[in-house]
Amino acid sequence: MKAVIFNGAKEGDLTIKAIEKTIADQLTEEKWEVEPIELRDMQIANCMGCFGCWVKTPGICVINDDGRETTRKAIQSDLMVWLTPVTFGGYSSELKKALDRIIPILLPYFQSYHGQIHHKMRYKKYPKLLVIGVQELGGDYEETFMALAGRNMLNFRPPASAASVFQRGKDPKTISAFVEEQLKKVEVIS
Amino acid sequence: MSQPRNVLLLIGSPRGERSNSHAIGKFLVDKLEEKGLVSEEAFVTHLVNSREGTEKLLKSVDNADIIVLATPLYVDSLPSPTIKAMELIHEHQKAMFPTKSQMLVAIINSGFPEKEQMDIALKIIRNFTQASNFKWGGGIRVGWGMALNSEPLNGKKGMTRKLTAGLSLAAVNLSEGQPMSEKAEELASTLFFPLFVAKSMSRLFGNRGWNKLAKENNANAKMYDRPYELNRRETGSESVLRGKSETQKKADLQENQENWRKI
Repeated sequence: MKAVIFNGAKEGDLTIKAIEKTIADQLTEEKWEVEPIELRDMQIANCMGCFGCWVKTPGICVINDDGRETTRKAIQSDLMVWLTPVTFGGYSSELKKALDRIIPILLPYFQSYHGQIHHKMRYKKYPKLLVIGVQELGGDYEETFMALAGRNMLNFRPPASAASVFQRGKDPKTISAFVEEQLKKVEVIS
Repeated sequence: MSQPRNVLLLIGSPRGERSNSHAIGKFLVDKLEEKGLVSEEAFVTHLVNSREGTEKLLKSVDNADIIVLATPLYVDSLPSPTIKAMELIHEHQKAMFPTKSQMLVAIINSGFPEKEQMDIALKIIRNFTQASNFKWGGGIRVGWGMALNSEPLNGKKGMTRKLTAGLSLAAVNLSEGQPMSEKAEELASTLFFPLFVAKSMSRLFGNRGWNKLAKENNANAKMYDRPYELNRRETGSESVLRGKSETQKKADLQENQENWRKI
């Protein structure tokens, strides 16, 4: 089984790095193949909003850079993990630049799903999704963050999913138990 | 807030001037100009990835009394360059001693007909506004953006009647240094068709529209391609354990046939 970790942190974010490492360690112990991707080191241009990935080269972004690879790795994985500092209740620009480029894994066509218009699915199988945000001390954006992750799950329809916020400044020793709890939620460890 | 003089239209769409964000934001800013305000435009995609661009962006923000952030909905929130601009502006604001009151107005547009799909994105901008010491000037959610086709709103009288009426009302409030009224927010965020009609039209005409675009690019036979699909059924312990049920096989076959019929 394969897991891909999109790390949307800035350089020097030790908390997110520690969470990433703990996820990788716990999954490796369960014989998973884990690939962490430091998005800030990747060449990923901004999505241009051209819809080329839907109507010119369906399924593949027209921009030939690392953004194609991150998308390919995501859809070919069994678990996709998004790590980000909670940014005004949403994701960091680093994480979002990869997510903006991931839309070719959906079809452009509209359908009604859970009472709202959404895009149809391109693939038969999608990876499980785990979204983890690290919130600054004193930040109060957990509700927005969880709601955003919930909406993403409506659009990417992962077979199992979970989202959670970790408070920065908390004892690093709690990271292991926190990660274990999240991995259990997405049913990748028991 | 005293009488505002300068308005900055901050465009979050990577499509720049050829975007609904620009068309809608420009209409509001033109109305503010009619009321004596001086406007400036900035396109975040061009600015946030260079030092010179960032300096220019922050200078424009400093100069503004009202900032109109007009942006599309991308994957349930904002496009990466818009978030980057918010991160940069926030850092800048934190380091600054506030010398004047500044107001921020949000305009979000999306291809989906339901305005509620933009609620989280709007909340994110509102959180940013508060964290960056700006006054909240109100938020507009424009659904079913495809109908606007990135063209100036003036030329589309019937279709944008409520939107332009709401924006005009907002301009009156904002030019007096007040946040836009709830009425202006609601009116500008109301579709020109009843929602159930817009939803059916999205499925029918929206999907035809995608096929038309694909045909123009000779891609209509490839619309359902799965270029990154792994041959999961034959590999991995997972598939060996799970196998594929007869019902699943039948469903897949039916889906394929349906897809081919549509092409």
